[in-house]
Amino acid sequence: MLKLTKYSVEPVFSDIDIEFDIGRTYIVMGANGIGKSTLLHSIMGRPDLEVTGSIEFNGEDISELEVDERARAGMFVGFQSPTSVPGLSNFQFIKQALNTSGPNIRETLEKFKALSHTLGLPQGWDKRNLNTDASGGEKKKNELIQMNMMNTQLAMLDEPDSGLDVDGIKALSKQLNEWRTADNTLIVVTHYEKLIESLNPDAVIVLKKDHVVGGGKELAHKIFAEGFDSV
Amino acid sequence: MSIDNFDENKKYQEGFVTELESESFPAGLDEQVVRDLSAIKNEPEWLLEFRLKAFNRWLSMSEPEWGELDYTPVDYQALSYHSAPKKFNKDEIPQEILDTFEKLGVPLHERDALLGLDTEKPKPENLIPTVAVDAVFDSVSVATTFKAELEKHGIVFSSISEAVQSHPDLVKKYLGTVIPYTDNYFATLNSAVFSDGTFCYIPKGVTCPMELNTYFRINARNTGQFERTLIIADEDSYVSYLEGCTAPAYDENTLHAACVELITLDNAEIKYSTVQNWYPGDEDGVGGVYNFVTKRAKCEGKNSKVSWTQVETGSAITWKYPSCILKGEGSVGEFFSVAVTKGKQQADTGTKMIHLGKDTKSTIISKGISFGDSTNTYRGAVKINPGAKDASNYTKCDSLMLQDSRALTIPYVTSQNDSATVEHEASAGKISEEQMYYLATRGFTEDDAISLVVNGFCKDVFQKLPLEFAAEANKLLSVTLEGAVG
Repeated sequence: MLKLTKYSVEPVFSDIDIEFDIGRTYIVMGANGIGKSTLLHSIMGRPDLEVTGSIEFNGEDISELEVDERARAGMFVGFQSPTSVPGLSNFQFIKQALNTSGPNIRETLEKFKALSHTLGLPQGWDKRNLNTDASGGEKKKNELIQMNMMNTQLAMLDEPDSGLDVDGIKALSKQLNEWRTADNTLIVVTHYEKLIESLNPDAVIVLKKDHVVGGGKELAHKIFAEGFDSV
Repeated sequence: MSIDNFDENKKYQEGFVTELESESFPAGLDEQVVRDLSAIKNEPEWLLEFRLKAFNRWLSMSEPEWGELDYTPVDYQALSYHSAPKKFNKDEIPQEILDTFEKLGVPLHERDALLGLDTEKPKPENLIPTVAVDAVFDSVSVATTFKAELEKHGIVFSSISEAVQSHPDLVKKYLGTVIPYTDNYFATLNSAVFSDGTFCYIPKGVTCPMELNTYFRINARNTGQFERTLIIADEDSYVSYLEGCTAPAYDENTLHAACVELITLDNAEIKYSTVQNWYPGDEDGVGGVYNFVTKRAKCEGKNSKVSWTQVETGSAITWKYPSCILKGEGSVGEFFSVAVTKGKQQADTGTKMIHLGKDTKSTIISKGISFGDSTNTYRGAVKINPGAKDASNYTKCDSLMLQDSRALTIPYVTSQNDSATVEHEASAGKISEEQMYYLATRGFTEDDAISLVVNGFCKDVFQKLPLEFAAEANKLLSVTLEGAVG
């Protein structure tokens, strides 16, 4: 569903080829500073990144699509540190993003409340402002709500576990496992062994400066035991 | 009957012109014009004298230049000082005018107001109306709804011209007591040539059962609109008053020089909300309304309160400082403002809080948003007089800038009483690239993303608006922001 060919983001990494399939889960790993976040945000189309090579989403060349167009096509990126918008409530934000109106609002709100409850967010989370006065973990959970409620086909999560406590991580893996279907794709940047175990990914991809190394779960195990230089 | 749309200016949907026969004074201003104006309204001698004193005073004054404003001076001799629909009779409102207000969403038929704007909804029995309207078209009030309903409560709600005839004592007692005819260039001009506006009197102990709304529409070309509004809230009374305004998209500048006076007696409260949407001019700064307005409240009585809430999106030039004189012990003044400027718009707006009485309290929250080549200035003064023991003020001024716009914050604070507390907070910022990107990743277009950030920025003020008005303000803000960044 997503195919990168001779894909480069100067000066971070170059000439990588990866194909992500529908209904699969991928873990992306790599040394600090190698460009894992850059990879996810370049796929999303962040305007300050200089991308060369080709990018296809569902068989279409999307290199000319703006960020918002990619989002509406079903792409979602979960931020490592989500940005705050003062004065905009979490639910207002979702409501506007989904363009919900009339009788559908109630239904959307119910779903929102159920999700925030499952993730262990406090009562009244819907009325709290978007990522202002929220802890790191709460912000991360909020990203999961958005991912769930939006029409996401390809979810790319950038270290969704960072900032979460033990219960938070349990809730996270539960959420992700529930969200996955045969019709969507999940890419997670993480170095957290337990999360990798729990997600049981179809593939692990290790990002290097000018290529990627792909493999199964055992690749992650090797890295945990011997470091990035071993692969 | 025809209402022409100015297609080239779709962003200002209220920019249409109503074609109808009107009677206007020839352009020019001299003593005879003032006398003619007074005569056409059949005014008593004292009012003519008030006008003439103001006119003579005005001749000796010069236009203020201290504002952060740059504009072609007004040629006061090129304006007409009175324009009214021909052979106008309030019992038979011309269809053109009814259509105009309908198009603007202002209900002139009581039946429509009862239904609300949504005519699809079934109408419950014995529904209490929520809004009474006084509609001012150029120089005259063309309709006032629910007068009879309000009279049952002893409330006077009429055009000021009618009030001069029906309640001369009240008008005479209060007119010019908050804004003296000598006050400033524009207020003095207004005192000489004011045309129409609203008069409200809320008697002792009465809570006005509905919102009172005045809608000002400028239609005639090269005519000045000189609104005069006077609201008196007697002891223990309460009223919420709303004001809206629009004008056609003419290439010439139009002058609107208003005076609004509010008076609150013991324990009374007036909540005054404005959505100002005068024609702002085109992208190159051609045309637009010059909005030179003096608005002031006197909290005369103990524990009385006045709240000014304004959402300013229109006008080429805005010069406006809704203020409070806090005279009564424990009286409270509030000013909540959102001012948006874009293109070549210039706004110099803010408030003055004059603390005279003990334990007086004021709050100022101002949000300035500027785009394009516009200038947005907050100018405020907080003055604590020696007698204002334990007075307190809190001021918060935030500005949000985009592109090459300019935002200025000019606060003046003077305290002559050691027991007073004055707090001032200010911030200035831009919408960050990070916010824009984050919102884009959630599918928002650039326009929608800006609108979300700006709405959030204005939230503290929008929360102060009456419910129905808040929705309108939100909508207006979205329309204003559409394509503001291109």
